Amino acid sequence: MRWIASLIALSVASLLVGFVWLPSVHADFTARGLWDAICRAAGVPTAWSDGGLAKSGPRTTEVVFTPEMARAGSADSIGRGGTAATQQCSMCHGARGVSAANAPNLAGQYAEVIIKQLMDYRRGDRQSAAMRALSVDLTDANIRDLAAYYASLPRPRNTPVTNMATVPPLVKVGDPMRNIAPCASCHGGIEQRLGTPWLEGMPKDYLVEQLAAFASGERRNDSHAQMRNMARALTKKEIDEVATFYARAAAE
Amino acid sequence: MFLARRLVLAHFWVAFAAFGVAILLGEWQMYVRSPLAPWIDNPEHYYRSVTAHGTVMAYVLPTLVAMGFGYAITELALKRPLVGMRWAWGGFWLVIAGTVMASIPMALGQASVLYTFYPPMIASPLYYLGVVLVVVGSWIWVALMSVNLRAWRKENPGATIPLAMFGNVAGAYLWAWTSVGAALEILLLILPVALGFKDTIDAGLARVFFSWTLHAIVYFWLMPTYIAFYTIVPRAIGGRLYSDTMARVSFVLFLVFSMPIGMHHLFADPHIGAGFKFVHAMMTAMVSVPTLMTVFTIVASVEIAARLRGGKGPFGWVKALPWDNPVMLAVTFSFVMLGFGGAGGIINMSYQLNETVHNTQWVTGHFHLIFGGAIVIMYFVVAYELWPQLTGCKPLPAGAVRTQLWLWFVGMLVLTAPWHLVGILGMPRRMAYYDYSNPALAGQAWTVVASVIGGAILVVAALLFIWILWRARRGETEAAPFTFSVPAHPTHTPALLNGFALWVGMMIALTVVNYGFPIAQLALLPETSVPAVFMGGR
Repeated sequence: MRWIASLIALSVASLLVGFVWLPSVHADFTARGLWDAICRAAGVPTAWSDGGLAKSGPRTTEVVFTPEMARAGSADSIGRGGTAATQQCSMCHGARGVSAANAPNLAGQYAEVIIKQLMDYRRGDRQSAAMRALSVDLTDANIRDLAAYYASLPRPRNTPVTNMATVPPLVKVGDPMRNIAPCASCHGGIEQRLGTPWLEGMPKDYLVEQLAAFASGERRNDSHAQMRNMARALTKKEIDEVATFYARAAAE
Repeated sequence: MFLARRLVLAHFWVAFAAFGVAILLGEWQMYVRSPLAPWIDNPEHYYRSVTAHGTVMAYVLPTLVAMGFGYAITELALKRPLVGMRWAWGGFWLVIAGTVMASIPMALGQASVLYTFYPPMIASPLYYLGVVLVVVGSWIWVALMSVNLRAWRKENPGATIPLAMFGNVAGAYLWAWTSVGAALEILLLILPVALGFKDTIDAGLARVFFSWTLHAIVYFWLMPTYIAFYTIVPRAIGGRLYSDTMARVSFVLFLVFSMPIGMHHLFADPHIGAGFKFVHAMMTAMVSVPTLMTVFTIVASVEIAARLRGGKGPFGWVKALPWDNPVMLAVTFSFVMLGFGGAGGIINMSYQLNETVHNTQWVTGHFHLIFGGAIVIMYFVVAYELWPQLTGCKPLPAGAVRTQLWLWFVGMLVLTAPWHLVGILGMPRRMAYYDYSNPALAGQAWTVVASVIGGAILVVAALLFIWILWRARRGETEAAPFTFSVPAHPTHTPALLNGFALWVGMMIALTVVNYGFPIAQLALLPETSVPAVFMGGR
């Protein structure tokens, strides 16, 4: 009995030394008090510092992608979207979603991409005088209809790559030492990730402008700064190179 | 005796055929990321290959070897026909079906999540269902081992369980409880997402479940090797087993300490409390105890063999050892690799030292040295030892066997030593290519070439292994009855070491203590789910 009691006492004493006293000597130790230290050892999230998990920094986006957003819309939804699109969108984005005005093509764009961008325009998370005005009165249902309509249109395709050597290295392998992931690992080719837009055939000017905006931080509605971190590392020449690659069908 | 001959042969052949394919994938991976090849155009192909290599080497090969060896031990050590032959074949076919089922999405690129799953990445449900079938097939083996032991005990009330069977059943119980972690992860967290019922997954909880399996699975792989150390090596080199009791103690210690230590794989995971990381690190240190005990016992047994052959002096007996005996060679190589790998493992489990090597090539080097080296080289020995029993062939050509073991040993060192070195320099693992044109990396390029050469030697050794087994003719002679090692001294086995109840109880209790709270609290926290990332795109 005495043995068990001394074993328990020894364990408690070592725990206090290891998790409360020794860490508290470090200047960067943030736990305040005994209870915080216990929570930290147990892995229970707690308000380490004042104010808990306060969100700080500029707002980026509120949209979280779910596979449900990517599902094909019903015929009714596509019909309603088509009607709205003809009235509101076709001036810049083209009658069938392919732009002749350096606005992004929307034909065949993934539904969740359009949903996210419209929601970001509506909240002001993505800046554009024209798009803000056009999106501010849209309901969630309107947005889903527009996305369903554009996703149902045939998407423009680049001339197929027959020789992999002609693909810019940044597109297929990125630049690991500069922390640049290959474009194709999200935008299709290697993998098409939920929420990443279809880029083939996009107007080159639009792609260059957006990459520059990501690089400068002027556009920041990419969650976790995914695109800003890529674009910041690119030179002007590299931006031109990848934009030319993705735009090449449109240029022909 | 030996009704299970075809059953064991089937397990071994499938295991070694899969091994032969997977080792080619491994060498291809090494080659494409070396400076000898241009960067791979589609990195996904690389991860597809890594997934297949890992799935075969970690799930298919060791599971089938453990199952086949287990069935062989049941008949050879208990000296009675295997009970439940039909079930055993059923388990075998489940493993085959699971392997095929998992291979299809892997080959199509819809399962490039690596064998450790890594949620929130989500593969095709067929991949997970395939892995589940492999595990369910092996559970049938676990049950059969238990049933056979019980049947033997009924016939031999009060007798001591033969050591080989004791280790075998310990390995089976270890696996049964080990695999529960990954099974829970797949069934409760991954499959609902993979089948489309849910869009988000609790990645942190999934990692905790997998860590329950991830470390103890290594001891499941290790069990056949340790059984070979204790029950085959001393006999094969003409010695005696120094201590039968020591062998039983180390088997039960593995049973107790394998599971509650897996969080040392999660030292960099923010959702685990520092206290639990500390406890798991401490418990990890405990598993070095049965390994050190084994090293002591086997070296002592080997010394007995040397002295029986006339060896003299404190160290002079080493010269008297039968160095031309392949088993002698293999156990030496295995211990050298176990020594280096084990030392590296103690660095990995140390909370602070782990920071410097976490997710570097060091880790890849460590587990290839331990598993591919120390463990698999003894799988070769098990196959070589059992082959005359299984096929009735003449003794295998000793020269070719020695060459094969030498090649495997040298190849494994040439492969893994550079990985350890560049790991300390910070080279990350799981990379499809490295930019050697960058001055910071140019100096490390030669190490990758060295590993390619090491891998090539391993491929040759693997092909030689398969060739040696393949060319053995069936039914040439009737093999002499198989024997296991005899202890040097008459042993009295305490009742506790003649059963598993206490040890299985401790295994479950320690797992509950070390995993219960983290699992419960992660499961109850509402904000831990993240959106799933589906592989294979659209």
